[in-house]
This record gives sequence, structure tokens and C-alpha cells, in this order.
Amino acid sequence: MAEQYISLVSSLPYLPPFEKAERSPITRLRIEQRLHILRPEDARQLALAEALVSWRMSLAKPKTDREMVLRCHAALQEITQPALHEFVEFRIAQQTILAGLRLRNTGFESSFLDQVNGASRWAGFIASHWDHPDFRLAAVYPWIPETRSYLETNDASGLDRLMMNIIWQRLSRIAEGNRFGFEAVFAFVFKWDILQAWLARDAEKAKSRFQELIKEVKNDS
Amino acid sequence: MEPLIFGLGWVGLYAPLALAAIGSSIGCMRAGSAACGALLEVESGYGRFIGVAALPSSITIYGIVVTMSLNRPLTLENSPGIFSLGVLTGLALLYCATAQGDACAASINASKSKVEVFGISMAPAALIEGFAVFAFVFALVLAAGIPK
Repeated sequence: MAEQYISLVSSLPYLPPFEKAERSPITRLRIEQRLHILRPEDARQLALAEALVSWRMSLAKPKTDREMVLRCHAALQEITQPALHEFVEFRIAQQTILAGLRLRNTGFESSFLDQVNGASRWAGFIASHWDHPDFRLAAVYPWIPETRSYLETNDASGLDRLMMNIIWQRLSRIAEGNRFGFEAVFAFVFKWDILQAWLARDAEKAKSRFQELIKEVKNDS
Repeated sequence: MEPLIFGLGWVGLYAPLALAAIGSSIGCMRAGSAACGALLEVESGYGRFIGVAALPSSITIYGIVVTMSLNRPLTLENSPGIFSLGVLTGLALLYCATAQGDACAASINASKSKVEVFGISMAPAALIEGFAVFAFVFALVLAAGIPK
């Protein structure tokens, strides 16, 4: 147990469940000031993980699936902290499954997912069980049936809440594993990210951001 | 063989104090780190956190008393007993002090955002103190049976 991490964890405020939160208890600037205590290697790994699986999509993300997959593979090789590595893999798996469900709903064939040689180890498995409602993964990821039902009813808000809840609970479990270690620190950072994303939900802002993304895609093509 | 037995006797004599002091240092360092972190988050009640951080230091006192109760002229008959009792008591106190430091750190972390849980969150640390007291009291009882 590193003593500086005990101090760091204690300096971070309690994060209420994101659905009940009315405001963020700490700013990003303040978090970054506190994270200066992190060992350089831990800070680097956290930055890599954040760039890859933070909740809010960044416009700086790669433009093609292939680029994204390559970035995932490169980052996963560098993220050696076991708990963080496992969390990042889980997030990538979650995104891959969600992408698979969305693609299938839109009428794509499994070969599409196969072509991009997905970042998750499940990509091939999903492609080979494309016609099964839950890609035969419901035993591993019990949230797939619920996710599917939200997608089928076009309930984007419900889907968002479900995805956030799954990650939130997983992060809580990770933090409980080592309450005063790096695990608790990165769990806090990712939970804060979810909380912030939840609080920032705004229909008007979402509309303008959507238009911004459309504009960016048009400029690229 | 005799010097070795006498050496072990000396180790046993000082072990409760030395090991308890090591444990208390580690415990206070952990609880103190948590207190320092919490000071950044709260606007008042600083003394409460520092007070809790000092709790593992009490275990060194038990070590001092056990060492004093074991203190007697070492002989071939009493050295093995002093070694066994001293080292085992010392190890128990060392573990209690470090575990209490962790419990205090958890208590500080919990009560910084919810002051009303301060008392109840100290329960694990108090329980650990109880285990240290058991080790301490029975070391004193058994020390009385070691030949002078």
C-alpha cells in the first residue's frame, strides 16, 4: 500500500451515485492537481486508458475503425497495471458488443465486424454468432438482453443509463478491491467522468454537438 | 549453544517494544496520510482527523509494558520462554498496529464526507485495539510464570 495513495484517495470527495447527483463535487482542474501525487508510470497508464475508454467521445479520436482498433491494441500492450488493463478490456468489449448490436439492427452483415478485426477478443466470436440474439454472450455479459431491448425501442437515454450503471458498479467493485491504491484512484477518475457526462446531458447541447460531428464527417469525406 | 540461547532471550526481551513501535509507526503513517488528504477536502474538524491518526501509537505503550514485565536476569531456563512470549507478543502488536492504521485511514476517509458516521466508523479500529489488549494482558499473565 503506497502511503501517498492513501493521502490521494482521502483527498478526493465522495461521489454520489450519478443518477442522484445534482452537481459535481470536484472540478477536473482540482482532480488533476491532486493526481500530481501519482507515480509517473501510473499517471501515464491512466492517461492512456482515459484517452481510450473515457465516457465522452473526443473529436480527436481516430477517424476509422481500423485506426481505432490499432490504437486499442497499442494502448492495451502498454497498460500493464492488471486492474486497469482488465477494466479497459471490459470497456472495449462493452463497446464492441454495443457496436455489434447496433450494426445488426441497422442491417449490416457479420463480415463488417470481422473486417475491422475488432479490438475486443470477442469480435470474432460475435461475428461467428451474429444471428444469435445475444451473440451467445449473455452468460458472460448478462446486460446484453436489456441493452438489446433498449436498442430495439430506440431508448437512447435508457441505454445510456444502463451502460453507465454497468461501468459504475464495476468501478465500485474495483475500488473496493484496493481502497487506498491506484485502483481506487482510477476508479474515481472514471466514475467522475461518468458523473460529469450524466450531469452535462442537455438536449440543446447534444443537438449542436451532433451537428458538429456531422460537419466533421462531411469535411472528411 | 549457550550464547545462542542467551541471544534469543535478549531478542525476546526487546521484541515486544521494537515490533510494537514498528507497527505503530506504520499505522500512524497510513492513518496520518489519510488525515492529510482529508484536510484538503474539509473546512473544519481537522483535530478530529489528526487525533484518529495518532490512535495506533497506543500499541507501543503495550509493548513497553510487556518488555518491562519480561525484564529479569536472563538464565538458560528462562531465555526460551522470554523469546517465545516476547516475539509472539511483538508480532501480534505489530500486526494490530498496522491493521489499526488501515482501519483509521478508512474511518477518516468515510467521515470526511459524512461527519455523522465518525463514531461508528471508528468501531473496527476499536475492535483491533481490543485484540491488542488481549495479546498484552495475556502476555503479562504468562510473563509472571517465567522463572526469575
